[in-house]
Amino acid sequence: MNSLWCEVQEVLPRTREGMQFGFSETVNDSVIYLLQQARELLYEGSEDVCLAVSEMILDFSWERLNSDTWKNVAKEWRQVYSYGCLFKAVCLCRKEGALEEAMRTCDMGLLMGAAILDNVILRLGNILQNRLTCRKRIAEDGADGCSRKKTKHDPLPVPLLSSSESLIPHLHCPSLEHFKENYLIPQQPVVLSGITGHWPCMKKWSLAYIREVAGCRTVPVELGSRYTDDEWSQTLMTVNDFIDKYIEDQQSGVGYLAQHQLFDQIPELKQDICIPDYCCLGEGDEEDITINAWFGPAGTISPLHQDPQQNFLAQAVGRKYIRLYSPGEAENVYPHETHILHNTSQVDVENPNLEKFPKFAEATYKECILTPGQVLFIPVKYWHYVRALDISFSVSFWWS
Amino acid sequence: MAAPAWFAFGFGGFEPVWKRQNPEALRPRPLDLGGKEASRRCVCKLRPSWSYTAALTGDGYLVLSGFVGGLPQQSVCFLHGGCRDLLTSEKYLLLLCKDHVECWDTGSLTSAGLHGEPLWKMELSGDKDGAFPLVSAGYVCPNPPFFKEFPHQLQVYKLALGGEHAVLLSTQQTVYAWGSGRHGQLGHGGVEYVPEPQTVEALQGVPMDDVAAGGWHSVSISEAGDTYVWGWNESGQLGLPCNKLAKVSERMGAGSKSVEISHGEEAEKGRENICEFISIQAFPALMDLPEGAAAHKASCGSRHTAVVTRCGSLYTWGWGNYGQLGHGDTASSDQPTRVKFFSQHQLDVQDVVCGVWSTFVLCHSKENEPRQFGL
Repeated sequence: MNSLWCEVQEVLPRTREGMQFGFSETVNDSVIYLLQQARELLYEGSEDVCLAVSEMILDFSWERLNSDTWKNVAKEWRQVYSYGCLFKAVCLCRKEGALEEAMRTCDMGLLMGAAILDNVILRLGNILQNRLTCRKRIAEDGADGCSRKKTKHDPLPVPLLSSSESLIPHLHCPSLEHFKENYLIPQQPVVLSGITGHWPCMKKWSLAYIREVAGCRTVPVELGSRYTDDEWSQTLMTVNDFIDKYIEDQQSGVGYLAQHQLFDQIPELKQDICIPDYCCLGEGDEEDITINAWFGPAGTISPLHQDPQQNFLAQAVGRKYIRLYSPGEAENVYPHETHILHNTSQVDVENPNLEKFPKFAEATYKECILTPGQVLFIPVKYWHYVRALDISFSVSFWWS
Repeated sequence: MAAPAWFAFGFGGFEPVWKRQNPEALRPRPLDLGGKEASRRCVCKLRPSWSYTAALTGDGYLVLSGFVGGLPQQSVCFLHGGCRDLLTSEKYLLLLCKDHVECWDTGSLTSAGLHGEPLWKMELSGDKDGAFPLVSAGYVCPNPPFFKEFPHQLQVYKLALGGEHAVLLSTQQTVYAWGSGRHGQLGHGGVEYVPEPQTVEALQGVPMDDVAAGGWHSVSISEAGDTYVWGWNESGQLGLPCNKLAKVSERMGAGSKSVEISHGEEAEKGRENICEFISIQAFPALMDLPEGAAAHKASCGSRHTAVVTRCGSLYTWGWGNYGQLGHGDTASSDQPTRVKFFSQHQLDVQDVVCGVWSTFVLCHSKENEPRQFGL
């Protein structure tokens, strides 16, 4: 316990003077007062009162975070939230048996807050992760777990890819120039192979490994087969709980760790992947590339939709069936009319209601089954439908 | 005759004696705005913000208690040129005076009161409809630009300002709602932003007597005493089955991307069927108080709801983390529950005003009923 406290102190400013908030008028004086209170209490070692004050900071900033659309919420309120998480997590580190709660608090700060004090929560999270028993599992589990335990229901069979002209072309390790001239500029999808041979994830990633590296971390999980369903919702749980409930056992329905920037939350995992070289053909900096994790059981479905950036979808574990419609087919795929879902088609791609959506039959498409090691280039605004055929882990790179 | 008395419960983090760990602090307590002068005066308007509470006394004094002038545990009491009503937010204090409205930055308050010129001022024309914050063909709000004009003629009676939305009751007893609808709080059935007052169609034909607006939810009380609720049920503030509360002891904030919407005009009531959780109720739902009690008035905190019945009881539900439900604990509840304190003390509840995480209740003592009737 004492050595943990030493490690924790290492990541905190050494004196209270080293923790300056520097917020603008956006953050109310009353909230700044609470932040100052919490800081004083932390440095004088009054954890219980500090914990109560940090809860107030968290509750207040949580309400501010929910008061507007995510992109309109002032970054300063996300930083206030992070301070609340920091105070709470540090206080919990001094309490017996509260490490998991402290870990979860750090993750909430990483999921909903914004970086403070040179990313102190990320650093504190690493310390806690190393402390927690999530490494124990690998010894108990033994064997690699990605290919076993048959799931109860297989909703749809592996599709037979119909004709050769609908197949997305495959290319082995093309030159940057070749990719640019023939695929990026004309905005043509292509499956690339031979470019991920050196990515550690291709060999390392298994359920056991993911439990080991990320098991105790809290992540957002989508519940329900597809986000267009009425019953669809999101929740937060640890990676271990997610694997227990939704991957090894599917009694609780479909759960999908989807579109989550897991690699920013757990830097250790980021070392297992690489940014495809072809991203340098874009205009943005490397920091502007959004890397998302997509981890789930067989049967997860991303309904037909389009994204506003170029995408490299790298398959690390399992297979995925993917169908693509060019941006020109928008009329034939019947986008939802509401503002929130306007980038999503109303059509159930593998079981279309052609009476309701007759023009969908005329839409031409390309398809593939993406296998481990392959990377699919999805041009910006290309409509894509994705269904996992196995337990699957994919990594997407959004770039411009 | 006993004078009506205010009671308070819930968050008081900037008050002198409040400690959440102390169970006594969670029960309703007589309102104490601090300061000898303030305590002698009878409060006629109470406008709580989060870190401070503003009150107007019967003899025209303004009392500010809590975080005032950059410090907690303050109490300031002063006369301010014929102030008749007020409106508060963390940043601004708006005062309705005889012929104008003025706005002050709360940071400019000192222990001696308000000095210098207000931040913003608006002269009022003669004709006045409805209660403050309704003023001359529009309304004031405690955020810039401070005044908004109604785009068309409305026969206004009462306006309730929520976190990011507004709910209006017309003199024809019709409900209008506008502003942010991301959590269904407008009751129009969608989650879109609505810039101008729009009739809540689902309530057409049901004459309403009162409206209230919280952080992300809304309530209206019909002439017949029925309670209608809509918006976000994140902490059970709609009194409808709440998923988060079902998972006892889990205190995770709901994801901000949630778009789970119930399109039913009335929520499924069967609590036996635990699958019928409501996250977002985008149309008004009729909600029953226990024992068929008839509702009279409502008020909403950021995530809790309080309703006064015609018989003078108080029911509360929703987020209870700071004791704002008045049941003597910090539990949240998605089931309307009578606050026993008042009946136990023979108190007849007249009115309720919710702060962000707190509740203020105006009561008469029942023991004095015969004498009151005699007067």
